[in-house]
Amino acid sequence: MTKNTQSYPVCRAVELPPGARKIVDIDGKSIGVFNVHGTYYALRNICPHQFAPLCEGTITGTTLPSKPGEYLYAREGEIIRCPWHGWEFDITTGKSIFNPHKVKARSYEVSVEKLSDEDPSIETFEVSVEDDVVMLHL
Amino acid sequence: MDKSTFRIIDTDIHNTYADVTEVTKFLPKHWLGRIQLPGNTFSPSPASGGSRKDAVTPSGGAPGSDPAYLMEHHMDAWGIEYGVLTGSGCLAVSIHCDPDYGNDVAAAYNEFTVEKWLSFSPRFLGSIVINHSDPLAAAKEIDKHGSNPRFVQVVMASASRTLFGQRQFYPIYEAAERHGLPVAIHPGTEGRGTASYPTPSGPITRYMEWHNILPINYMSHVNSLVCEGVFERFPKLKFVCIEGGIAWLPHLMWRMDKNYKALRASTPWLKKLPSEYILDHIKLTTQPIEEPENPRHLSQIFEMIHAEKTVMFSSDYPHWDFDNPHKALPPLEPEMKQRVYYDTAAELYRLETNPAC
Repeated sequence: MTKNTQSYPVCRAVELPPGARKIVDIDGKSIGVFNVHGTYYALRNICPHQFAPLCEGTITGTTLPSKPGEYLYAREGEIIRCPWHGWEFDITTGKSIFNPHKVKARSYEVSVEKLSDEDPSIETFEVSVEDDVVMLHL
Repeated sequence: MDKSTFRIIDTDIHNTYADVTEVTKFLPKHWLGRIQLPGNTFSPSPASGGSRKDAVTPSGGAPGSDPAYLMEHHMDAWGIEYGVLTGSGCLAVSIHCDPDYGNDVAAAYNEFTVEKWLSFSPRFLGSIVINHSDPLAAAKEIDKHGSNPRFVQVVMASASRTLFGQRQFYPIYEAAERHGLPVAIHPGTEGRGTASYPTPSGPITRYMEWHNILPINYMSHVNSLVCEGVFERFPKLKFVCIEGGIAWLPHLMWRMDKNYKALRASTPWLKKLPSEYILDHIKLTTQPIEEPENPRHLSQIFEMIHAEKTVMFSSDYPHWDFDNPHKALPPLEPEMKQRVYYDTAAELYRLETNPAC
């Protein structure tokens, strides 16, 4: 996490189980927060190709590089496909599958924290002391 | 009946599934999202199953099925003044084995367009769907709606058993010219129904391969229309190539012109270079726009094909390969931009003199 980040609560951790996603609006910026196998990730909800709402796409796996005629399906739940043109992105890095070095979606850090009910940043929903909260860091 | 008198083995009983997932759960996972079971032998379909995932209507209806939502989600959202409707799933009337059925479905589809869409807003402009495999019936269908100014063109499948320059299609061109309507072709039916294989060397294996090579059909039709002299016979006819690509046109024009210089004696009815017929009679729509690594290369192609008079913007909403009107095209000079996004279409569809616009 860099020094200049601001932190925003997304939801209670229990509301974002593995495989789930939540799209939030933070100061006009649409961001998708994902729980992939118990780890949280966030991507800007804009596909770098033609600006489609990337995070509304299908969460899926992909076929790994293989020999002609061979299919190696893997990474179930770690890939999102853009709802328009089907471009595949790695949710865990934001990088595209077809050209990870050049084409990527903006990604953000996410953490899960215990928050006290006195925390002033919690405006949008009530949190009890026991709740873990998913925090997005921009 | 006494069941005990003889024993029976029935050797053909058809069992099936109540829900397709009862079967597909056993398929290898790499087929997921591309499943068409089991009768459809055509290449499994694409990225998002045909339509944009975010275009499902508020009531959960099929993308593109709700005029009010289409207006809001697409036309208003991008600032689109008029939208030319080309229908969905209706073009296969031309590749149906039964021409009578194809004719009646085309007619029913046009009534549906009038009732549900053209009545909704003057910003929707209609296309008369025809069954090109029965040209005389198709001409009648054009005549039926040709005087309704809300219909601005004729649309038919680009897939065919025969090239569109052939004489059997004259009744269609005659009727279209009579009503001042362009004839548009739209892909999607290549290799299906009664149509020929999608390539001269046979079928393709996957959707991607099929989608990549659709332009060869367009090249074949444009070549045929020009060489057969269709535009000499029907000098006012305009022909719109929807969703068939753009970047192939310089090659085709140059090759045709080169051959004309040597071989024109075989087509003495051609009074000018083939490329001139193309520039005067053929329009291309932009989507799915080619995306070269250097976008300037596409701008150069636009110059080569005089895009200011041949190219019209299209989005293909709500299909999966939709082009964003504000993002998809390469950088264009302001005048070119105005022509591609508006003026050429406004002229072709005669919006200025159209009482409905």
